[in-house]
Amino acid sequence: MTSKRSLWQEVTEGLKTWARVNSPWVLHFNSGSCNGCDIEILATLTPRYDLERFGVKLQGSPRHADVLLCTGPVTRQARERLIRIYEQMHEPKFVVAIGSCALSGGAFQGCYNVMGGIDHVIPVNAYIPGCPPRPEAIIDGVVKLLGSLLPARQPQAIVETELEKAGVG
Amino acid sequence: MTDTTPKGFTIPIGPQHPALKEPGHFRFTVDGEIVTRAYVRLGYAHRGIEKAAEERNYIQDLYLLERVCGICSHIHALAYSLAVEQLANVQAPPRAQAIRVLVAELERIHSHFLWMGVSAHEAGFDTLFMYSWRDREQVMDILESLTGNRVNYSANLLGGVKFDVGREQAAQILLSLDYLEERARHYLNVLSKDAMFLQRTRGIGVMTRAQAEVMGAVGPTARASNVPRDLRVTAPYAAYPEFPVKMILDDRGDLEARFEVRMHELFESIRVIRRILNEMPETELVARMPRRIPVGEAVVRLEAPRGEVFYYIRGDGTDKPERLKVRTPTICNLNSVVRLVVGHQLADVPMILAGIDPCFSCNDRMVQVEQAHNGTERTMTWSELRQHGIDFYSRSSR
Amino acid sequence: MSRPRPERLDVKVKEIKQLLPIIVGLRVKRLGYLSAIVGVDLGVEANEIEVIYYFCPESAVIALRVRVPRQGATLASLSDVIPSAEVFERELREMFGIEITGLHTTDHLYLPDDWPDGVYPLRRDFDSAAIAGAGEKV
Repeated sequence: MTSKRSLWQEVTEGLKTWARVNSPWVLHFNSGSCNGCDIEILATLTPRYDLERFGVKLQGSPRHADVLLCTGPVTRQARERLIRIYEQMHEPKFVVAIGSCALSGGAFQGCYNVMGGIDHVIPVNAYIPGCPPRPEAIIDGVVKLLGSLLPARQPQAIVETELEKAGVG
Repeated sequence: MTDTTPKGFTIPIGPQHPALKEPGHFRFTVDGEIVTRAYVRLGYAHRGIEKAAEERNYIQDLYLLERVCGICSHIHALAYSLAVEQLANVQAPPRAQAIRVLVAELERIHSHFLWMGVSAHEAGFDTLFMYSWRDREQVMDILESLTGNRVNYSANLLGGVKFDVGREQAAQILLSLDYLEERARHYLNVLSKDAMFLQRTRGIGVMTRAQAEVMGAVGPTARASNVPRDLRVTAPYAAYPEFPVKMILDDRGDLEARFEVRMHELFESIRVIRRILNEMPETELVARMPRRIPVGEAVVRLEAPRGEVFYYIRGDGTDKPERLKVRTPTICNLNSVVRLVVGHQLADVPMILAGIDPCFSCNDRMVQVEQAHNGTERTMTWSELRQHGIDFYSRSSR
Repeated sequence: MSRPRPERLDVKVKEIKQLLPIIVGLRVKRLGYLSAIVGVDLGVEANEIEVIYYFCPESAVIALRVRVPRQGATLASLSDVIPSAEVFERELREMFGIEITGLHTTDHLYLPDDWPDGVYPLRRDFDSAAIAGAGEKV
């Protein structure tokens, strides 16, 4: 990604990034969750939280998606579909794992039909913990991911705890 | 954010890997537009909870079972708590039981508002989806103020509940209930008079009483076909003997009936919550549980928003249950859907499914449609099937 | 049962072939609907699996109990008499390895298509390590 590019390439990449950051198309996939995270994701689209004001558009096809929002611990049955979806998305693509199950299997860690988290199956760019995470936390995570796409900022590990923010610990 | 290269994971690139088949959730055989056969593949959300419950102790299991379903988390935790209390021969104190019913009815309200929005979305009424979910936020606020969480409220303890309801909270809740009741009346009005909506629900998906009984339907799906199954009334548990609800029945058996039954249930839930808040028994919140849960079996049946939840538990005297069985209402109602859609138009399928208020994620379901007479097959996403229904009806109404 | 509860009836069905006539009798008398079928593996030593059919008339719960051997067990499907039994029986079959004659499909209900044959999760001797790749990366 750091090879020399022509001016034209720089401009089109910049436009694409701007478009991606300002109106990413998002696909939601449930890999076997209890639906708790899914309903909080849907809630972010409703008037109180209104994720769409950030330009995020939820749509139904992997071929048009920039960002994949993934919930669930990945059941064996859902695994193939998840891989398929990931493959059908065009580069550059980003995956957000939402909820404890998506992070590590959550309460279902070790269960026989469960792979144990999204990153056991496909690469993940952002992790939003919670059981389920509040809509505000989901929005926060997605906005942070979008912010990291701006050229000036390289992706980095952002781990903020309430204590750090309060200046303690 | 971590770097994008996973450790030790190779992403298959290039043409589709031949071993990766597309597991279809639904498969319909159609003759023109009419469905002649339907098949549903479950298992996408099968996490092996019953086995996991045997490997965790009784207290851990409470937290596990709250997560069977994010929409009806409380009813599962309540069923489990009641089952373990039955094994231990413990009765939770009256105030705890009343609070349990309070949360259960609040859950029913949030679930029915959620379902209202999702069904409206299936029919193409996105405005109603937005409004009903906005209103639903009132219920989420109430649940959060009582329990500390919007979803997975974790109200139950083995032996009682974790929190009390204060007087100011009660006053706030009563105000919110007034608002919710007014909104529910508005939606009932819209849904029962809107011509476009009625086109998709009136006379569609009819299930007679006999059919509903034979197919094992439960919950509002059954009550809309005049089958008097409501465990809060026929087999009252927790505080329902003291705070009874009225069973809502409808004899039309179509989608419209299923919608109206749930709407009327909302009013009953609001009414009973008001009563509980005004007449809350004054007792402690937790009963003492024995240190060891005794050997034995217990069966508990509760009325979740979707219908009957059946819990079986077997204790062997150790700190882990020997066997736990969870039978959810959706598996009973799915039976009826698979049979109901046969003979209907493909365009009716999304609404017929919405009519049972299925407890699995609505977002990603692949649908395979096979034309009977020439064997051609089409794979579509659920959104495409939904759009097919919306387009079909908007064409036919011109 | 050492502590009999009100509104509970336990019936031990001694011979499997008595099961269907009993159920037909319950149906004729309209004594409840089939609410669940529960399998319990009584253990490798006991060498039996208990299958409990729960019929629920109003608030009562009638449990019809049948015992089958852990190896080579066969039960007849109720689905011709009670269509809703089909899903419960399919679950019983895939979780415990009990053969159910008369079921119209061999497809798994909850278990994935690539689940290995002969591995029954709810048996006591189920070994999750037998499932290749359980919890592991692809």
